[in-house]
Amino acid sequence: MNWTQSLFRLVEPVVPPRFVIKRLLLLIPVLFGVASVVFAILHLAPGDPAIVIAGQRASAEQLEQIRVELGLRRPLWEQYLSFLWDAARFDFGQSYSISRGNSVRSVISDRLPITLELAIYGQAAGILLGLPLGIISAVKQDSLTDHVTRIGALTGISVPIFWSGPLLILLFSTYLDVFPTSGRIKSTLFLPDTWTLLGRELPLTGMITVDTILLGNTEAFLSAAHHLFLPAVVIGVYSTALISRMMRSSMLEVIRQDYIRTARAKGQGAKITLMKHGFRNALIPVVTVIGIQFGTLLGGAVLTETVFGINGMGLTIVDAISASDYPVVQGTVLTFALLFTLVNLFVDITYSYLDPRIQQ
Amino acid sequence: MAQSGDPPRLRQYVAVRARLVGGGLVVGLLLGGLGMAGWTLYTGDARSSEATMFALGALVFGFGLLGWSGSILAGRGIEAMQEHMGTRRNWTERDSRRAMARLCGGGGGIMVGTSIVAALL
Repeated sequence: MNWTQSLFRLVEPVVPPRFVIKRLLLLIPVLFGVASVVFAILHLAPGDPAIVIAGQRASAEQLEQIRVELGLRRPLWEQYLSFLWDAARFDFGQSYSISRGNSVRSVISDRLPITLELAIYGQAAGILLGLPLGIISAVKQDSLTDHVTRIGALTGISVPIFWSGPLLILLFSTYLDVFPTSGRIKSTLFLPDTWTLLGRELPLTGMITVDTILLGNTEAFLSAAHHLFLPAVVIGVYSTALISRMMRSSMLEVIRQDYIRTARAKGQGAKITLMKHGFRNALIPVVTVIGIQFGTLLGGAVLTETVFGINGMGLTIVDAISASDYPVVQGTVLTFALLFTLVNLFVDITYSYLDPRIQQ
Repeated sequence: MAQSGDPPRLRQYVAVRARLVGGGLVVGLLLGGLGMAGWTLYTGDARSSEATMFALGALVFGFGLLGWSGSILAGRGIEAMQEHMGTRRNWTERDSRRAMARLCGGGGGIMVGTSIVAALL
């Protein structure tokens, strides 16, 4: 039995393979569409890659030679097909300026784990805080706790990252001196490129908190967690607020259903009824929000990384756009699109697990 | 039940979809060709006109493709949500999918039309 059969056998009782295959196949037109839009926008945007590479003082002959080398003198349909073929192989060539000489693939593989780590911590904070807050708020409807939670959630949704970030830096870093203003780890600490498992040298993941655990370096882990705390809070506040609001309204709707009343009438305890019957059903719309929210977190990473000077995908895309580094822009945008669609695929599967009627 | 005189199902299936995308493609071809010729006459630069018109076509095509797949992925859910919330309008997944397929054809037509006229100029 090969690994795909084993995987399907594992998830079969939960989700039918046909459902997963259909969703996976739909990823192809989504990514194809994103690639087309990226190609179009970059060709409609002002700026000449030849000038980016050669500089403003380059002669007309030099510029023309670069354009020919880059294939910019070929017919557009040829450039388009070549771009799609490269995108399908995830080969965007080399960076023009922000990491000159390095392949876009290596730029992305260096910086993606940094952004993923930030987004995962933000999402984890959102789920771990948002769900209980939403449930408590719904159960204790119109109480002081509910009002405080609702005001907090409303504030969290209303405050943009570009405002909350600098404000938190000002309070916790400048005035209170509790957290660092930027960076990922104390500058005096050094991490190697590999770690050893059973005598074998393996590459590190690029996620600094995971890497420090793998290396067994407690001081480095604490420093990394210390540096990551504020950015994760900034990125997680919006997520927490949205999830708690969704959970509250969904829970309020569920606890008024007949089956909850029946369970209580049959003598089941309030907490058990709430968690056994209420929570799973209330979770269905919240799961959708969590999936969409992950995409927003990736977008939020652009702002958070810029504010906190973290060299992840967000800062890379900003730098690449500023420097007209088209291959890097294409690669990062497509990576974001791929991540977003994969997360939503996972959400769809979770959704159909929670409510099997979705599979019909 | 299919009668003996009916066209085969597959052919009918393809014909309906080809008509849908083909309609958009023909309109796109005309738009792309005329746009390319007009833009070149206006600017006097065939290369930049080709770049602009082709990119516009790719934008429409990409948007259509995203809309089409988005309709398949989330259309039924949106319909169900509208029904659940009592805000049902005339929007349906089928209509959205068809409109996006036509848009895709249009975008593809603009790209092809632009390329043909660019090769002729």
